[in-house]
Amino acid sequence: MTDEKMNPVALWRDWFVKSEKAWSQALTEMMGDEKFSKGMGRYMQEALHTHRMFSEGMSQYLANLNLPSRSDVLDISDRLGQIEDTLAAIQVELREQRIQIARTTAPHAGDSPSNSARPAKPARTKRPPTSAK
Amino acid sequence: MTKSTKPGQIPAPEAVEASIKKAVDRALSRNIPGLALQQANLDLDVGQTPKEVVYTRDSMRLYHYHAMTPEIYRVPVLIVMSPVARGYILDLAKGQSFIEYLLLQGYDVYLMDWVPPRREHAHLGMRDFALTLLDESIAQVQQDSGEQEVSLIGYCMGGLLAVMNAAIHHDGPIKNLVCFTTPVNAEGMPLYKAWADSDAFDIDRIVDALGIIPGDMVNASIQALRPLQKQANQMQLLNNVENDAFVKASLRFDRWATEQLPIPGELARDMVRDFLRGNLLVKNEYRLDDKLIELGKIHVPFLHVAAEYDHIVPTAASSDLIGLVGSKDKSEIVVRGGHVSLVAGGNAVYRLWPQLDNWLSLRST
Repeated sequence: MTDEKMNPVALWRDWFVKSEKAWSQALTEMMGDEKFSKGMGRYMQEALHTHRMFSEGMSQYLANLNLPSRSDVLDISDRLGQIEDTLAAIQVELREQRIQIARTTAPHAGDSPSNSARPAKPARTKRPPTSAK
Repeated sequence: MTKSTKPGQIPAPEAVEASIKKAVDRALSRNIPGLALQQANLDLDVGQTPKEVVYTRDSMRLYHYHAMTPEIYRVPVLIVMSPVARGYILDLAKGQSFIEYLLLQGYDVYLMDWVPPRREHAHLGMRDFALTLLDESIAQVQQDSGEQEVSLIGYCMGGLLAVMNAAIHHDGPIKNLVCFTTPVNAEGMPLYKAWADSDAFDIDRIVDALGIIPGDMVNASIQALRPLQKQANQMQLLNNVENDAFVKASLRFDRWATEQLPIPGELARDMVRDFLRGNLLVKNEYRLDDKLIELGKIHVPFLHVAAEYDHIVPTAASSDLIGLVGSKDKSEIVVRGGHVSLVAGGNAVYRLWPQLDNWLSLRST
């Protein structure tokens, strides 16, 4: 847009977008450095240790305040996931039942397909277009 | 539209006024805050191609998509999605959906997709993903379609699962194998390799402590491959804020990119130990269930698709695949674009997907 060409902020954003790849590459190379990799590994270990310390300390504190801890929230998340699994299993079962019903009530030759409980499957007879080679 | 202004020329006051009025009108018509509203609306329109769940186990869901043509190819297609990413990237929006494209060309499409793993799934490792779950999915596709042969299309790490499975079951039911940007050589992923090789990086301790590697951690590790890309995308979004199509596409991508799936701890351990540190696959030393994975034993028709500017799986990490696979009928397509644009980019529908269709259609009867 012409107005945008006069906008110094838009110009700066354009410059950033165009030069981002080079900046990103420089940062990624820096992160791949041996010292950085070691530092990151150590940071991860320290973060895990701190996380465990806080979790243990906070869970008792939160329980005293009658508030849920992260572990309680994860328990709820797991239970919701299990309910979703059950729903998916019911969907699978319903689909299988529908297919079963469609088979048992399959229209005889000459009957209208609308008698079937499930739309007729498309024929597996498609050939590639002649242009494909 | 205001009168155009030549570069360097100060716009007339009435032109500035008209420009501001237009921007305000557009913002109002979008119901401020426009971007937030767009984001909310977009929650409903990904993964909308009609499908049914056929099979479920652990964090895996096998979907069957409704056919869109009266006649379909004999051989069904099973798409294996990466277990660390949401499958809706393959069905992003109407007209920008890889799955919809395949259906419209007459393929019978199944998708092996993933839901976020829970703590009870922390024990699932590479063997479970590449063998147990994929074997069961193939068997379900065979049963559901009534066909013995199945074509596999694997995306990213889904491609890795597919090639491992195809190498072990080289006399199995796989009819064709297509891999999209599939990593096989850890040397081509220098940042992850450097991290994994560092003696300070203790994957066992991380997995034992966390059980499931959180999605945020996965997201951070992917962002580290191009640390400023997210900021650049936001700026590009601001520069194109009046282009509704651009805003929608950008928000959809952004949403997908930040919704990385958590990884079961054992899978992360296997990836770091055997793939990144050991680089065993490219050396033909990778074992699953005591079975050696030799990619040279794959003899089915094989197609590898790579992206020239892929920063997540650079071509250096995937290009060995075509040489390692033993198939006589094998091809590679390298297109301009990035990791995601292969399966969701606006141009893929005109450039890449027709090439894939040409290749697969001839081998699907």
